[in-house]
Amino acid sequence: MSLEFLNAFKFMKKKSILHKMDPRGKLLFSIIYTISALLFTKIVPLFFIFISLIPIILLGKLFKQWIKSIKGLSFLIMFIIILNTLFISLSFAIAMIFRILIMISAFSIFFLTVDPNELALSLISMKLPYEFAFSFSLAFRFVPTIAFEAQNILDAQQSRGYEMQKKGLINQIKNLFPLLIPLIICSIKRAFNVAEALESRGFGSRKERSYYYTIKYSLKDWIFTVYLLLFLAFSIFIRIQFNIMPEFLMWSLPV
Amino acid sequence: MMQKVKELPLVMIRKIGYSYPNGTVALKAIDLNIFKGELVGIMGKNGAGKTSLIRTLNGLIRPTYGNIFINSQNISSKSIATLSKHVGIIFQNPSHQLFANSVEEEIKFSLKSFNLPKEEIQIKIDQILQEYNLEKYRNRSPLNLSGGESKKLAIASIICRNPEILVFDEPTLGQDAKEIEFFINLITRERKNGKTIIIITHNVEFAYEYIPRTILMADGQIIADGPTKKVLNNEFLINQTSLILPQIRQFNLVLQQNKFHDVEDVLSTNEMIDYLRNYIKQKSSNV
Repeated sequence: MSLEFLNAFKFMKKKSILHKMDPRGKLLFSIIYTISALLFTKIVPLFFIFISLIPIILLGKLFKQWIKSIKGLSFLIMFIIILNTLFISLSFAIAMIFRILIMISAFSIFFLTVDPNELALSLISMKLPYEFAFSFSLAFRFVPTIAFEAQNILDAQQSRGYEMQKKGLINQIKNLFPLLIPLIICSIKRAFNVAEALESRGFGSRKERSYYYTIKYSLKDWIFTVYLLLFLAFSIFIRIQFNIMPEFLMWSLPV
Repeated sequence: MMQKVKELPLVMIRKIGYSYPNGTVALKAIDLNIFKGELVGIMGKNGAGKTSLIRTLNGLIRPTYGNIFINSQNISSKSIATLSKHVGIIFQNPSHQLFANSVEEEIKFSLKSFNLPKEEIQIKIDQILQEYNLEKYRNRSPLNLSGGESKKLAIASIICRNPEILVFDEPTLGQDAKEIEFFINLITRERKNGKTIIIITHNVEFAYEYIPRTILMADGQIIADGPTKKVLNNEFLINQTSLILPQIRQFNLVLQQNKFHDVEDVLSTNEMIDYLRNYIKQKSSNV
């Protein structure tokens, strides 16, 4: 198994309208799409929300990476199908797949297009203390590092006979320990090392600080924000009035 | 290249290449033979393709083109689990593999895939813990071991599986003199047991002293393969990597510049000591 799909959440510099947009707008986008996805449990509205993501993905020239992130999560998708079909229904299972796809895509787009440095700046502009903003952007920056480490751990364990595929749910969960424990230990060790490195470079010695880069909410960001707010309002309206909406919105599989 | 006519190589690598999914070319048309019982060093600067090459040996990465044969069998269709019984790779960072509650459990985990009877597993564990002086840590968490001890445990957890090929990635990195000495004894012992050993290292002095054959890599290709003393004394080759000439060679060159013309073939520390001893003796007898 490869953990390559985690790269689908790694920032890549590209020239696109989406990349140039303010990170605050993109954070709002991820949150609003997640909320919208959580509002519905029927296939059709979730499908429409999912479809509305595609132009945004194309706008950011992210199609390849997005497909990779979806492919990488195929195991999770299978898991959702099996559990929901067994305990509820196939229609509900499909709806839940759309829901998870929307949420993953929304955050994948965010991570792929937001530079970690800009993220810290945007959080500071939202009046968040610098220490918190920095920690958040640092965590964000370490996602690919952890992905790389996870791959190394997997390689090391496989070199002594570890196998990913095991039969039975409990065995599969047990089977994650050889990967998760070293990953957590290494991450904690790294966190201590980073903290020491930061302190040795005088982190937090001055309350006020200046910034080399600045971010600005431009016209296209406002247009995007207005679209998002309208989208959210529209989703909430449909959810509230769902019972009097056209019948096709409530369509589900006959099974 | 080592010349062996009678036996077939244990590892035959035939024109393999590998590119990472992001397009980086890691290996280009690598051809290599490694015979049973050999001790081979792989050297070269970071990014030269050393680690990628060893990862192909147990299927962690599959070559984009070309074939690898181990024991004359093509490994392309073999699973990592099967290959790991023949090729044991010991990675640089032991904390990437230690996770169990105790040192004993850690070894047990490595033996799991062999489906051995409980008693046999216990015998193997006792044996390996004793061999590696880890007996006193048997019930201790592997996470509380010192750097050197956890490296020992990582090695033990691979060697207990008894693979015929042992691959070490930077085994001397961050090790003190005692630990390096332990490692030298270990490879000597394992070679006597008939194991084939491949070592990736940047440690020129270590390779010069203990590894008979060296493969030098640069930009995903093998640029030299031969007796270590010949490869590492070649200034032209060394300049193509981030390595430096062995200290004894540097000393040798300084002596040559100072009109010690007959020192050219003195290439090891012991030879140099003998040479200097003779020289002093000669000088004092002349006086």
